[in-house]
Amino acid sequence: MASDQSLTILHVDMDAFYASVEIRDNPSLEGLPVCVGGPASSRGVIAAASYAARKFGVHSAMPTAQARRLCPNLVLLPPDFDRYTAVSRKVMSIFRRYTPIVEPLSLDEAFLDIAGSERLFGDAVDVGRQVKADILRETGLVASVGVAPTKFLAKLASDLDKPDGFRVIQPGEVREVLDPLPVRKIFGVGPRTAKRLEQLGVRTVRDLADLVREDVARRFGASGLWIHDLAHGIDPRRVSSRREEKSHGMERTFPNDIADREELRTLLLSFCEEVAFTLRDKGLRGRTVTLKARFSNFKTVTRTKTLDFATNLGPRLFTVAQELLDRVERRPLRLLGIQVSKLEDVRQPAQGTLFGTPEPSSRDDWMESNQKLEAATESLDKLRKRFGKSAVRPASLLYRDEVRGRDGSSGQPGVAGRVPEEDPGEDS
Amino acid sequence: MKVICDREKLREGLSIANNVVPAKSTRPVLENVCLVATDDALELVGTDLEVSVRFRIEDVEVTDPGPAVIPARVTLDFVRDLSGETVTLETKEGKCQITSGADSCELVTIDPDEFPVISRFSGDGNVTMQGGSFTKLVTQTSFAAAREPGRYAMHGVLTEIDNDILRLVATDGRRLALTTTPVDGSKAPETSAIIPTKGMQMFCRVISDPLDQIHLSFGENQVGLKTRGAEIFARLIDGDFPRYAAVVPTETSNALEADREMFSKKLRLVANVTGDEARAVRLKTKKNELELFGQSVGRGLATAHMEVDFKGEDAEIAFNPDFVLDGLKHCENDTIRLEFNERNSPGKFCLGENYVYVVMPITIDASTPPT
Repeated sequence: MASDQSLTILHVDMDAFYASVEIRDNPSLEGLPVCVGGPASSRGVIAAASYAARKFGVHSAMPTAQARRLCPNLVLLPPDFDRYTAVSRKVMSIFRRYTPIVEPLSLDEAFLDIAGSERLFGDAVDVGRQVKADILRETGLVASVGVAPTKFLAKLASDLDKPDGFRVIQPGEVREVLDPLPVRKIFGVGPRTAKRLEQLGVRTVRDLADLVREDVARRFGASGLWIHDLAHGIDPRRVSSRREEKSHGMERTFPNDIADREELRTLLLSFCEEVAFTLRDKGLRGRTVTLKARFSNFKTVTRTKTLDFATNLGPRLFTVAQELLDRVERRPLRLLGIQVSKLEDVRQPAQGTLFGTPEPSSRDDWMESNQKLEAATESLDKLRKRFGKSAVRPASLLYRDEVRGRDGSSGQPGVAGRVPEEDPGEDS
Repeated sequence: MKVICDREKLREGLSIANNVVPAKSTRPVLENVCLVATDDALELVGTDLEVSVRFRIEDVEVTDPGPAVIPARVTLDFVRDLSGETVTLETKEGKCQITSGADSCELVTIDPDEFPVISRFSGDGNVTMQGGSFTKLVTQTSFAAAREPGRYAMHGVLTEIDNDILRLVATDGRRLALTTTPVDGSKAPETSAIIPTKGMQMFCRVISDPLDQIHLSFGENQVGLKTRGAEIFARLIDGDFPRYAAVVPTETSNALEADREMFSKKLRLVANVTGDEARAVRLKTKKNELELFGQSVGRGLATAHMEVDFKGEDAEIAFNPDFVLDGLKHCENDTIRLEFNERNSPGKFCLGENYVYVVMPITIDASTPPT
């Protein structure tokens, strides 16, 4: 049970972050239904909606077209991620004044663990109040704060009282808070699990907690144990400032379906270059490449290949990505994406190869050029960091516009602004 | 066909044939063993078209010479459980009856003409040597051959003959084992062939007496081995074997000599804490003391020390302990010798008079720290 745990975890979530930044910078928008997102004409989705817009039922991840139907007077703004990122940095720096253990979840939310900082700044509730006040004073933005003994409860707490919330769940009142909540509130219970639980007569967290543990395990496997633990307020996850990244990727839904393979390949090249750059920037490389493609009818397929040796070079990724694309049925695509997983630190001990190349003989030449490429890439990255990412691009991408996401974001993989398309079931 | 033979001999032959015969094939006839009774012997032939075996059983009583093609797996299973000393095999009306004492079975046969024709070893081949010596060469090298899919040319043991020297080399691109032995070169033309690992294993499998002579015959696209009772043919791998000679260090600035058993023991000790992936044990010398160090995020770290004989400047180098131990297993001497130059250039383990094992070290790339 959670009752013996101390109250040290904070979850801070900025209210309607992107929209709030826009309103802050343009006070004439105050009180209007403001949304940030991609235009309806190119199948855009809402990335953030102000509370005024939410009154109309508009919420993030909703297609912009639908949002417009719900709220004809919607003020739609294109996103400006550079500005949001700058504000986000400011907010994160406020967190770090109080504790080094900050785990950002995205641009606008983070977990903080203040264990060890109490003597300096007071208990978790004090720190929570100070953080909230600092954010308002220094950025002019409103954050909701949850304080609890575990991550799950802290996140729940910040959500319970939104907007402009401040909610503390004391170790002793965990049951009281959890019991009446719908089971959907449990992290890991999606629509499907909720439906299956409903069939068992489980509607509230209380109902789930009352189930026999073995029974839940039998029906839902390992994830059953997990949600059962959460229902009891048990969440052993620690706040970790060093979040280990599992994968890196980029995907885009196109304004219009694309059937032309040449066009798709060019897009793929730009994705690969972009993802490879991010990997290099983070000092990572990956072994498994996964291509995701969605057809006009929303059927989604993935194709995967694992390399013998990890890479973070764009052209190397692109070679594999092309192979994977060739294994996808030749039909118009609505979405295309590439993801690299099985990541490793470039500094991790690396087994050397005897013949200078992972695959000797026939691929000798290819690998030799790979090494040259690696050396060249280092210099190119320096240029990109100094003059912007489009300073150096493959010639085939020279005269192309940057691929923008549905939420209007530019091609930066993995940023918080990305809104994944609702997934009507995978099949690979 | 009708023949009476020793049960144990028949079981042995069937067992060897089954090592080659595929359990499931797109050509079902290959799932069979072909028995041929000649005047004075019974031959068992099995093949997967890559490796073929012909096993000969002598001292048999043939009353009716001829062939029979029967399911290999079932026949072995049946013969294994028979209890009589001899077994009678007899074909009639498309069936093959196997009888031993009071027990018998009748197996379906296949038209012998459908069974592929397998080469026959002619004469004494190109090289003749003692079976035990050949087996030793193979076990000293084949463990280093590649197993991961996709590196076709390294899925076998390079077998070369030049200047009266027989040389076997195997590598998976990260370590390489090389062993040589003098041969009588009068009949041996210069040869270079990549023999698939599976074929090599079969060769060793049929060498029952290490003192017996074996014969090797190199052809255009296959290699044959003949023992007293068996012939094996293996299709050669058609590919370019990496240029191995260039990676065997010739001049080295550091040389370490250590007791083999002690070194293995310390290595295993330290390897216990290294992780599952990117396992590394660092060897560090300080005059005549060797420090072995292993570490992993998940398990912790370990250090061991031992006395060695070291010539060179104090140095360090890290290896995958599993690779090193693989080689030490086949070491012929009580003392191992490790020669190397840099921490990122190959280390050469001298494990016998004509036996070297080259292992590429593990390096920690500090060139691109994450920002």
